[in-house]
Amino acid sequence: MSVIEANDLWKLYRRPHVKARSVKEAMLQFLRGQRGYEEFYALQSVSFRVEPGEAVGIVGANGSGKSTMLGILARVLLPTRGSVRVDGRVCPLLELGTGFHPDLTGRENVFLNASLLGLGNRETADRYADIVDFAELHDFMDAPVKTYSTGMVVRLGFSVAVHMEPDVLLIDEVLGVGDEHFQHKSYQRLREFKLAGKTLFVVSHSLPAITRVCDRAIWLDRGRIVRDGDAQQVVAEYKAAVADWERSLAEAGARDAPGS
Amino acid sequence: MSEFFEVVRYREVLWNLVRRNLKVRYKNSVLGFAWSLLNPLMQIAVWYFVFKILLGRDEPNFMALLVTGFLPWLFFSQTVLDSTGCVTQEMALVKKAYFPRTILPLSALVSNLIHLGFAFIVLLGLFAAWRVDLTIHYLWVIPATLLVALFAYGLSAMLAAWSVFYADVKFIVSNLLGLWFFLTPVLYPLHHVLSGRIKTPDNWLEIFINEHLVALKKLFMLDPLTIAVEAYRSALLYGGENPIKVQIVPTMTKLEQAQALGMQEALRAEYPLTPYIVGAALIAVVTALVGQWVFQRKADYFAEQG
Repeated sequence: MSVIEANDLWKLYRRPHVKARSVKEAMLQFLRGQRGYEEFYALQSVSFRVEPGEAVGIVGANGSGKSTMLGILARVLLPTRGSVRVDGRVCPLLELGTGFHPDLTGRENVFLNASLLGLGNRETADRYADIVDFAELHDFMDAPVKTYSTGMVVRLGFSVAVHMEPDVLLIDEVLGVGDEHFQHKSYQRLREFKLAGKTLFVVSHSLPAITRVCDRAIWLDRGRIVRDGDAQQVVAEYKAAVADWERSLAEAGARDAPGS
Repeated sequence: MSEFFEVVRYREVLWNLVRRNLKVRYKNSVLGFAWSLLNPLMQIAVWYFVFKILLGRDEPNFMALLVTGFLPWLFFSQTVLDSTGCVTQEMALVKKAYFPRTILPLSALVSNLIHLGFAFIVLLGLFAAWRVDLTIHYLWVIPATLLVALFAYGLSAMLAAWSVFYADVKFIVSNLLGLWFFLTPVLYPLHHVLSGRIKTPDNWLEIFINEHLVALKKLFMLDPLTIAVEAYRSALLYGGENPIKVQIVPTMTKLEQAQALGMQEALRAEYPLTPYIVGAALIAVVTALVGQWVFQRKADYFAEQG
């Protein structure tokens, strides 16, 4: 029984043209029947299934639809067409303490953040000691977060997310945070996660991070799935394609260069 | 309806957000939470200086009238003002995590309700100092507060949603609230508007107002804020009596007193309260429903906004 099932997902965005600079221009545009935007699909007919215990990495260039896909899985974006079914609790791994309020203490932020991610205050209280242990911030929990260093904020945010015990953990470019020691702990934690039959969904430009964590990868290009398969293999193909593309760019550049 | 159950499921987020709002509002201030009480008191001190001392208004109980009228207004305006930021300030979270978005305007409303509660305690303290008796009629402030709360929620939900897409909303709101304050009988008694007209209209606006005086006055009476402000006064100061009151002061001659009473009777006959209360309540309920509808329709697209 798959834990995520995405069927023919399409996502239409409107990219505004050069903005009308004045009310008059906007009126003229309207009267001429011009639309102030162009439409494009950030996702086109994307379908896949994910089984429990799988760790799936998404690779692709900027604007290929990776974050849009994650947004749809996190239920913050609505697909224009198609459907997605996710069994169990989905939890996004928030970057850099998103949703932390600088004036609240570490403790208050943990409770607020956990509740926003769907955990009751009592459940958070049960896990509180573990969260603090993992973040190694025992002496700082009653200090306002604005006094924390960046690394401390990141550690606390990460710790809250992995202690949510979600069925699906969504990770957008937040692997490899903190110092070497904390990174080891994070990867260890993610491995335990997989072993416990939970699902990981990782978006990253760091290909080593993808191959380190994921056993499967999906390569997206302009909203379409190009490859879906073994992580090592897909990443290798993606790398080769990028290299090819860069070589053709360099050749074109050499041809057009003055004096050649 | 499903949104309602989602909010219930996420109710702890609501409490946590409310606690955060209360803690953060007066951050970095030495007096901290005391400001939620000091602010209205200082505002009232300013009015005391302006109206009592500079302008020499001498109605009895003038300060009590101001204070009671100011409470529901402050609650309303602060809620509506907070609404324009309640989603936009949480955009980072809104883009990443799912939670019922309704929690955001709702937490602004509840935070301000709590501030109102605290201000109310101060008011009761003032009343004790002025030796005003506590009566059962005080309970009328509960439906009156509910009326403002519904109306304020509807407007703030709508404004919260629009301000995600248009930054203009917050500038418009703060200016319109400034006008609305003077359209609400906080600084003046109700009968000033109900019996008033422009004596020498000399531009199109003044002529327009005079021509549509009856309709405009009815509209004024249907404003949920007018009703709430006057309900507060009726409950707290007049022992539940009709709030359309013309002040009788001992310095008036017998004839003037009789004229004032006559005017009061005429106004009370012309503006029977029940239909206006029902009308204002309807407006508040409809506003709340429409506001929620607009908010939910827009909420699906919050995360797409850059």
